Amino acid sequence: MNKILLVIQREYLTRVKKPSFWILTIVVPILLAGVYAIPIILAARPLEHAQVLVVDDTGLFQGQFRSGRDITYHEAGSIDYARRQLQQHDSIDAIIYIPARETTLPRDAYLFYRSDTPSLTVQTDAQNQLQEILRNRILLDVHGLTPEDYTLLTSTHIKLRTQDIETGRDGFLQVKIVVGILLAMLVFIAVFMFGSQVMRGVMEEKTSRIVEVIVCSVKPFQLMMGKVVGIALVGLTQFALWVLLAGALVTGVQLTHADLFQQAAERHSQTEIASKGTEATYQYQTEQERAAQYQAGEGIDNSIQDLIEGLAGINFDMIILLFLFYFIFGYLLYASLFAAAGSLVDNETDSQQFTLPLTIPLILTLLLLPSMVGQPSGNISVWLSIIPFTSPVAMLMRIPFGVPVWQVLLSMLLLIATFPLCIWAAARIYRSAILRYGQKASWHDVWKFLKRDKIR
Amino acid sequence: MLTINNISKTFGTFCALNGVNLHVRKGTVFGLLGPNGAGKTTLIRIINHIIAPDSGTILFNGHSMTHSDVMQIGYLPEERGLYKKMRVGEQAVYLARLKGLDKATAEQRLHQWFDRLEIDSWWNRRVEELSKGMQQKVQFVVTVLHNPCLLILDEPFSGFDPVNADLLKHEILRLKEQGATIIFSTHNMPSAEELCDDIALINHAHVVLSGSLADIKARHQGAPLDRIFIDTVQNTSVSNNQ
Repeated sequence: MNKILLVIQREYLTRVKKPSFWILTIVVPILLAGVYAIPIILAARPLEHAQVLVVDDTGLFQGQFRSGRDITYHEAGSIDYARRQLQQHDSIDAIIYIPARETTLPRDAYLFYRSDTPSLTVQTDAQNQLQEILRNRILLDVHGLTPEDYTLLTSTHIKLRTQDIETGRDGFLQVKIVVGILLAMLVFIAVFMFGSQVMRGVMEEKTSRIVEVIVCSVKPFQLMMGKVVGIALVGLTQFALWVLLAGALVTGVQLTHADLFQQAAERHSQTEIASKGTEATYQYQTEQERAAQYQAGEGIDNSIQDLIEGLAGINFDMIILLFLFYFIFGYLLYASLFAAAGSLVDNETDSQQFTLPLTIPLILTLLLLPSMVGQPSGNISVWLSIIPFTSPVAMLMRIPFGVPVWQVLLSMLLLIATFPLCIWAAARIYRSAILRYGQKASWHDVWKFLKRDKIR
Repeated sequence: MLTINNISKTFGTFCALNGVNLHVRKGTVFGLLGPNGAGKTTLIRIINHIIAPDSGTILFNGHSMTHSDVMQIGYLPEERGLYKKMRVGEQAVYLARLKGLDKATAEQRLHQWFDRLEIDSWWNRRVEELSKGMQQKVQFVVTVLHNPCLLILDEPFSGFDPVNADLLKHEILRLKEQGATIIFSTHNMPSAEELCDDIALINHAHVVLSGSLADIKARHQGAPLDRIFIDTVQNTSVSNNQ
């Protein structure tokens, strides 16, 4: 068996056998699936039903409060009566009190409660209904709008949709920003997590002195590359398991909460049809539809449905492929340099001196990310996504927004071309530094090692 | 077995070895002696192809030394260590396979050795759970497992208690009887006197004394080896400084 394969095998197996590997493998998808599924489940979950008494001294709100899935409103004659009810009955949760004012429209309303603060849902709903009812009163009674005009006015809803003129695809800018930032963060974390594993592995071999025995059997270059490749395989295994587990979890949630996802999918196909049609399509909702939707509690889910729609509009196959590419090559670049850094030092504290300059390009990109997301095709974004040391993070941020093919290809080519250079430099430093014990290496030493032709 | 011709090596401005010539006879124990920093470890690393000399050649069984010759060496470095988190058996098999043994042979031989040294119960223990002396035993077994024809032992007795040091001495002599050639580097003169057939004393990058132990002792009127060591080192250091 080839020796480099033996090294790869050992590096891979010792890491995959560790409990920490499996803990990370299980915890991350649960977190991810939770982030995706919990809002949907929470929105669908019936809240504890609240009973609210309404005391209206103005007469403007008479019979106007609409009870919903979570809240029932009852009208009460006087505030004193309502107070007694609230004090005596546990089933009553709160009172809405709108005191009368002499001349002007009411400005303040009160939500009285006993011991337990009303939930955010109750507060929000009460505020919204008060606002809406008052507005309706002004329009209908004060300005004398006809019921038809009134319906038209309140049901008109316009939504701004960003769309690619060629593909007809929806823009879903916010979803893209989120996905772009997530991808960039993920590749950043992955490159550093597995890159620093390489460094620690090299340092372990150096400080435990086992390297002296091993370099009699394998060349330092083989040992270094075996480690780099072995840990890369650990990373890829971890990703594969994450994707599988997260997929299984999401499928599980989709099966148990099929209705919600069904709605989202239908809406998506509707907008696809609408966007392809030649006629302008007005999205018209009647008051009844709105009321029905409100009753079903769907209004709250709109933003989530947008999210699901937006996600459905992104080409994930392409993203996964590009993510793998930029992870592998970004990792190879940094891991080899981290290996060199690890070979230069005897303990983790000293390693800062060499790792800090290495990490600056990636950290800089990460810091610029918020401004780059605002202009994914701006100068900074384009340049950083082409320069090899920053491209893994910068390009992945840009991918969901769509990147010209030539830029992707140029960025990939430069990354592929840089990686042998990095490996070469790292190997030169590594083979000289790995057997130097007890001396703190300086940047001058690094330069010396790089220039040295013969092994030490 | 091993002929070292005119080997020189400098690190920057520091001269570690200067025109070193040595001859190690097959089937003997060769003592490589010298004070700290004399260049012993550098010479051993050059023999092991870990580092390359600036000039000079090494002949192995009469031919210029190749990588496959290096694989026939068993090297126990002075700075030794094992992967702390790995299990003893697993790690020994890994190191043996790096030396070219297949898995089954490695396991079989390891169990034989571990049985004889009464350490077979450690097979599934992590290295970090073992004492320093126990780790040394494991490391010695790993060094000799691939039946090397040349053994290079750098301070093999450091870290051993007298009982285990004696055990190790017997194992070294047993390997010699089986035909192995042994280069043995040490500061411990009594053990060198006990084990070595030939010796070489290196001081300040030069071989200052070499030959068979018997001849050298005769030339120094049978003085103990540590006396000879001290005198020679002092004399050569003085002449070096002038």
